[in-house]
Amino acid sequence: MVEEHETTRMRVDATSEHVGPVAPDGLEQALRDAREQSLASREILQALGRERGSEQILDTIVDRARRLCHADVAQLYLLEGDAFRLSRITGEAPEEFRRYAPAHPLRPSRDTLLGRVALDRSTQQIDDVLADPEYGRPDLQRLAGFRTLLSAPMLLGDEVVGVLSMWRTQVDPFSEQDMSLLDEFAAQAAIALRQVDLMQSLEARSTELASKVEQLEALREVSDAVSSSLDPDAVLNSIVSNAVRLTGTDGGSIMEYDERTDAFVVRAAHGSGQELLDRLRDITIRRDATLVGRAATERRPLEVPDLSQVALDPHLDALYRDGWRSVLAIPMLRGDLIIGVVVIRRRTVGSFDEDMVELLQTLATQSLVAIVNARLFRELETKSAELEVASRHKSEFLASMSHELRTPLNAVIGFSEVLIDRMFGELNERQDEYVHDIWNSGRHLLELLNEILDLSKVEAGQMVLEPSTFRVEQALEYVVSMVRERAAKHGIAVSVGIGDEVDTLEADELRFKQVLLNLLSNAVKFTPDGGSVQVRAERVGDELVVTVSDTGVGVPPEDRERIFESFQQGGRGVAREEGTGLGLTLTRRIIELFDGRLWLESEVGVGSTFGFAVPLRARDTAGTESGAPDSTGQTILLVDDDRASLDLMAAYLEGAGLRLERATDGVAALRLTRELRPAALVLDIRLPGLDGWQILDRLREDPETADIPTIVASVVDDRARGLALGAAAYLRKPVSREALLAALSGVGVGVREVGPRERA
Amino acid sequence: MSGARILVVEDNPLNLKLVRDVLGAAGYDVVSATTGEEGLREAAELPPDLVLMDLQLPGIDGAETMRRLREGPLAEHVPVVAVTASAMPEDQANATRAGFDGYLEKPISVRALVGEVEAFLQGGRR
Repeated sequence: MVEEHETTRMRVDATSEHVGPVAPDGLEQALRDAREQSLASREILQALGRERGSEQILDTIVDRARRLCHADVAQLYLLEGDAFRLSRITGEAPEEFRRYAPAHPLRPSRDTLLGRVALDRSTQQIDDVLADPEYGRPDLQRLAGFRTLLSAPMLLGDEVVGVLSMWRTQVDPFSEQDMSLLDEFAAQAAIALRQVDLMQSLEARSTELASKVEQLEALREVSDAVSSSLDPDAVLNSIVSNAVRLTGTDGGSIMEYDERTDAFVVRAAHGSGQELLDRLRDITIRRDATLVGRAATERRPLEVPDLSQVALDPHLDALYRDGWRSVLAIPMLRGDLIIGVVVIRRRTVGSFDEDMVELLQTLATQSLVAIVNARLFRELETKSAELEVASRHKSEFLASMSHELRTPLNAVIGFSEVLIDRMFGELNERQDEYVHDIWNSGRHLLELLNEILDLSKVEAGQMVLEPSTFRVEQALEYVVSMVRERAAKHGIAVSVGIGDEVDTLEADELRFKQVLLNLLSNAVKFTPDGGSVQVRAERVGDELVVTVSDTGVGVPPEDRERIFESFQQGGRGVAREEGTGLGLTLTRRIIELFDGRLWLESEVGVGSTFGFAVPLRARDTAGTESGAPDSTGQTILLVDDDRASLDLMAAYLEGAGLRLERATDGVAALRLTRELRPAALVLDIRLPGLDGWQILDRLREDPETADIPTIVASVVDDRARGLALGAAAYLRKPVSREALLAALSGVGVGVREVGPRERA
Repeated sequence: MSGARILVVEDNPLNLKLVRDVLGAAGYDVVSATTGEEGLREAAELPPDLVLMDLQLPGIDGAETMRRLREGPLAEHVPVVAVTASAMPEDQANATRAGFDGYLEKPISVRALVGEVEAFLQGGRR
């Protein structure tokens, strides 16, 4: 049977659910207050220290009183509780009395002179004790041998705090003058006494405050560590060493509870040798069979003041063998969960006082936060690693799925085309219809596959936009032409309206068309036969606003957010054709990449308007903003055999603060690239000698030049080939200043910006 | 250039059949191979005017087959065009970097195929 003194005082509640580090503000304030008070009391003590002889003053008073009044003995009694105890005695008092009196305080009563003086608050004399019928302490008289007694009360306000008293062993009454002298001495003694009291309480207060400051400083240190460090072991070690230091104990540890094994594991320790640590890690500190476990289960601090007096569990046994004699265990709890236990120990026996328990509970709370933080952090790390692996698997899966699906799709679509085109003979009407169905389904699958790939690219942050400057009207007409046939089949009128101020847009042209095609084919798809679809483009401020309105079934309010999510389609009645369910999601993502906005206005039964707004000029890619503002001096190599074209581009680039070198044929271009290592190349395709394609090829093959970005500027329209050969951007001639500078800043060349208004 | 000899290296039998039948119907002389090794043998036996090569092949892959064709049996001017189902842009770039003269992405448009083949035959190597 283990017997413990149970400590149940819980002024600081380590079991609270509201676990958190001590609020830094509160802690700082407490620390400031404690420091100020400590300083003030030390100043008073120093001031008093000049009259540090207060104790001696009392001695002097007693001694002087005896001599001036020619008494044989003078003594000073001080009030303690409700009795007066002998504090000082001077003169020829018998040794027996000197021993006896201090141990036997006198309660005020009329059978002693002291009692009468205290009760009456006045100076009195007994001429001859033996002749006084009221005197009731013949034992004292025999012990001390006094005959004549004189006593004066020490008054502080109304309170008698002591009695100054003297005697003569012969019957020889004191004079009036003696009596008033003693009065005076008693008054002085009272003042001296007050000073002594004051000093003592100040000293106590000062010590208390100093320790409070130390505690608060340690708490702040711990609190800082908890909130700033992600290394839980460092935090826990700091907590346990502070706990040991502040409580003046000899050692301690922090144990974490492991739910899986239902046992405790040592996480940090202080004042313990390696041997003890090894031993503690070796044994199993079970929850149901140890002091530590009981403290946690019963949710309160438990102590063992003397290990030799109790039955020892494996943990306590290890401690006892290592020379430890008393132990205190404070649980760390979080709601219903057991997190761990803080253990403090001493090599000597004895109880742990209340202040210590309180302080440790605060530290236990801090440890709790540190452990919980560390667990969350560990969990986060694991999760991130898992996510990264999952994401990689997803990318690999998509790439391989794309390949595996495209191969059979190729046959499906290809053979249907062979049949539709009557390559090997005529089909009847039904056969033709079925083959069209096969072809449509194949195309649909392919579209879905492309959108899945695009979406996964956007989500992986791998979709790279290729901004160029193009005419909005042409792009619109192109996209409308792609849906016109289907619209005509259903008697849907498609109209295009373009505002006067709309001219060019700087954006990724392919992605812009993709967005527009998606919105437009949705509109055609979900508009009943004979309806109409209208596309409008307008310039609003620095933005291009495009709207696609239809006279379709409309989207009810509750579906307006949902239809932008993957694989969600509005309840639009009978769908003439399945969509992929990804189109709008992808559209929204692409517009976000454009720094634009997508919206929907709709009225059920009347129609819908999808609109989007994108900036007229592509956002400058990273590099111009964060790059060094002083970018002048970066060298660009211009390769072109047409003098006029070279001059024009040179003018653009010099205006942007760049240094230029020119080459008019392929061989010179390669030589200069190797010699100058320019920040970028602007390359024409049609060149004498080596052409642009060959130059691109050779630049890529040479590790020395492979990383120099090349921007193609040519009349040759083969963007795909250029990019495949490693060109960073592909510009069609005539190249505008904006497009050229945007392409350069896209590859990290800092250009001195000229604002759009300035150019206008 | 009707009657031109075209070597198609493709391991998927259906896709091989599709290309062979379409090009055959257009009047080309189509020789097919389902592996790189087979393709090399065919090219050695009767040199083609154009090669369409799948990139993912069992055994030696498309790029390696192309390299060996260039070293040996193939005449200097004969274009080799990559055909792949991969939609990843980096694969396309790799194909071009590997030295192919052109690139066709699956699914191949049957309607466009004849035109593209004809363009490669006319244009020769880039």
